Amino acid sequence: MSKDIKVNDISRKTEQFFHLDTKNLPKLPYPYEDWEDPPFPGVAEVKRKGKDISLDGILNVPVPAPQTEEEKEKLVAAFLEGLRKLLTVENNWPFLKPLLLSLDNCVRCNTCAEACPMFEMSGRAEIYRPLFRSEILRRIIKKYIHPGGKLTARFTGADIDLNWETVARLAQLAYRCTLCRRCAQTCPMGVDNGLIAREIRKLFSQELGIHPAELHEEGTVKQLDTGSSTGISPAALMDLIEFMEDDITERTGLKIKMPFDKPGADILLLHNAGEFLSWPENIEAFAIIFEQAGLNWTMSRELVGYDSVNYGLFYEDVQLARVTLKHAEVAKKLGVKKVVVAECGHAHKAIMAIGDRVWLDEVNIPRESCMVTLEDIVLNDRIRIDPQRNNFPVTLHDPCNITRSMGIIQPQRRIIKKICPQFREMTPHGVNNYCCGGGSGFAIMQSANFPTWRFTVPGRKKFAQILNAFSREELDPGINKYVCAPCSNCKGQIRDLLTYYDAWEKTRILYGGLVELIVNGMVNIPEGFLEWEFH
Amino acid sequence: MAIFQHGSVSIDVDEDGFMQEPDKWNEEVAKALATTEGVDDMTEDHWKLVNYLRDYYLKYGIAPMIRKLCKETGFSLKKVYELFPSGPAKGACKVAGLSKPTGCV
Repeated sequence: MSKDIKVNDISRKTEQFFHLDTKNLPKLPYPYEDWEDPPFPGVAEVKRKGKDISLDGILNVPVPAPQTEEEKEKLVAAFLEGLRKLLTVENNWPFLKPLLLSLDNCVRCNTCAEACPMFEMSGRAEIYRPLFRSEILRRIIKKYIHPGGKLTARFTGADIDLNWETVARLAQLAYRCTLCRRCAQTCPMGVDNGLIAREIRKLFSQELGIHPAELHEEGTVKQLDTGSSTGISPAALMDLIEFMEDDITERTGLKIKMPFDKPGADILLLHNAGEFLSWPENIEAFAIIFEQAGLNWTMSRELVGYDSVNYGLFYEDVQLARVTLKHAEVAKKLGVKKVVVAECGHAHKAIMAIGDRVWLDEVNIPRESCMVTLEDIVLNDRIRIDPQRNNFPVTLHDPCNITRSMGIIQPQRRIIKKICPQFREMTPHGVNNYCCGGGSGFAIMQSANFPTWRFTVPGRKKFAQILNAFSREELDPGINKYVCAPCSNCKGQIRDLLTYYDAWEKTRILYGGLVELIVNGMVNIPEGFLEWEFH
Repeated sequence: MAIFQHGSVSIDVDEDGFMQEPDKWNEEVAKALATTEGVDDMTEDHWKLVNYLRDYYLKYGIAPMIRKLCKETGFSLKKVYELFPSGPAKGACKVAGLSKPTGCV
């Protein structure tokens, strides 16, 4: 059925273009061979009201459902105008070059499809093929932007109909990709379908105001307004810190005052603020390690200075630039020697790789991954660790933005191999890793039927990889084991995955960060920093 | 946006049933919202949890971290799930009139 779908069909006037049949989803490994997915849930009337979910009946980006032909035409025209802008250097200087290279160089070999977890784990659904989305955009450009395109369309295969259905479904397709860029890694031509998806998101956000609320209104807008996408104000932050300082003393006997706004410190540590609320043990572990290693470090209490997230990376350039400039200002004002990005993947990319385009001249402050900072501490024995304290099966999840996008592969491995005697890799790993299934902000989209989709399609690959990292004997629920996921977004997704598949009860796999393992191994604190409780 | 009605209670809620105007919260509203979470009888423990969340929210504008919530109410996470089956964030916070959690939490 799915194979019958052709790119030009996207403009078809049907209520729902594609139906995902959970019967086609690949089987899960032991002990989930008999796992059966229920039929895919629909979206309640109250949630779908006024929204177009005509791609696949899944709701994560609120595309409006215009009622009149006039409204539709207006939106299509706005899309086309936005597309023209996307293809000019004055309107898209940051990403025009890689976008054009990706649009022009594809040879349709479909190597990308075989690398894409969305395509594989949907049971090879045609619409989730990376090329399907990119090809729609290419054909629209060929027919509606290139001079004379309409006349030649019939002969070039670009005879796509640019109606509202096409536009609305393209917006939804841009949110059926986690931007993991595994396709770009494998493409022999260097085509980046992830970038194309992200640029489509940008067009919709900047030109039509269409974006998931979790990323925009409740994301970057809230972050710039209240200081954090979580809504944590500086006063709330101090309450949380006070609690964590007491918690450290209770758990370890250490008395630590977390440093804030220390001018001229060697290091400004930037955490994803989600850690303060959901994984305080991660914040505590960083403080313990940095203090015990004698680092001269600080955190910031300034708005945005205590939240490293930048959801702009996932959906548009304007907010991306606003947030990263704010991060740069905070670092500059404190006069720190360098910024260290804690365990958050997309913050790594936003502050370092993409940030390089903005952190210029007087704000050109060195930025470093915490993996490197921690490697220096652990490998040079600046703290004392007894690996026997971590003597349980451990595997490592590679956050796409840290590994594939940044090339930071070995530091975290050298640490974990030194402190975890039963460490084993997932297959594949490093730059060839699979996304957690929550990338590009998916992990924080908790509404309508979208979570079920991210657990059963992209998350399925990661869940299978996690299970496969352990032997049948080790998967016994009597044995503690750990999947180390040094990224807040990945942790959220893995927590939700383990919950959805009831894996804590069935297999006793706990998830958490890297610093928790380091502190769990430290000899000068009582054993048991890691609490074997699922949360 | 939708209107949630239960008995004499009528409030604006978002698509996931969270209150849109948290200052309109009162005990009647809490009882009504609790029914959407499968809690028909608000016991003393339910109120202890809800009131703690409410007070924290009024002071800091967010829900507290779960570890703190457990410590200060004396409830284990398991107990919180027993009281509100969909959990602290989706269940208890909704009944306490808080808005939906946001960010990487």
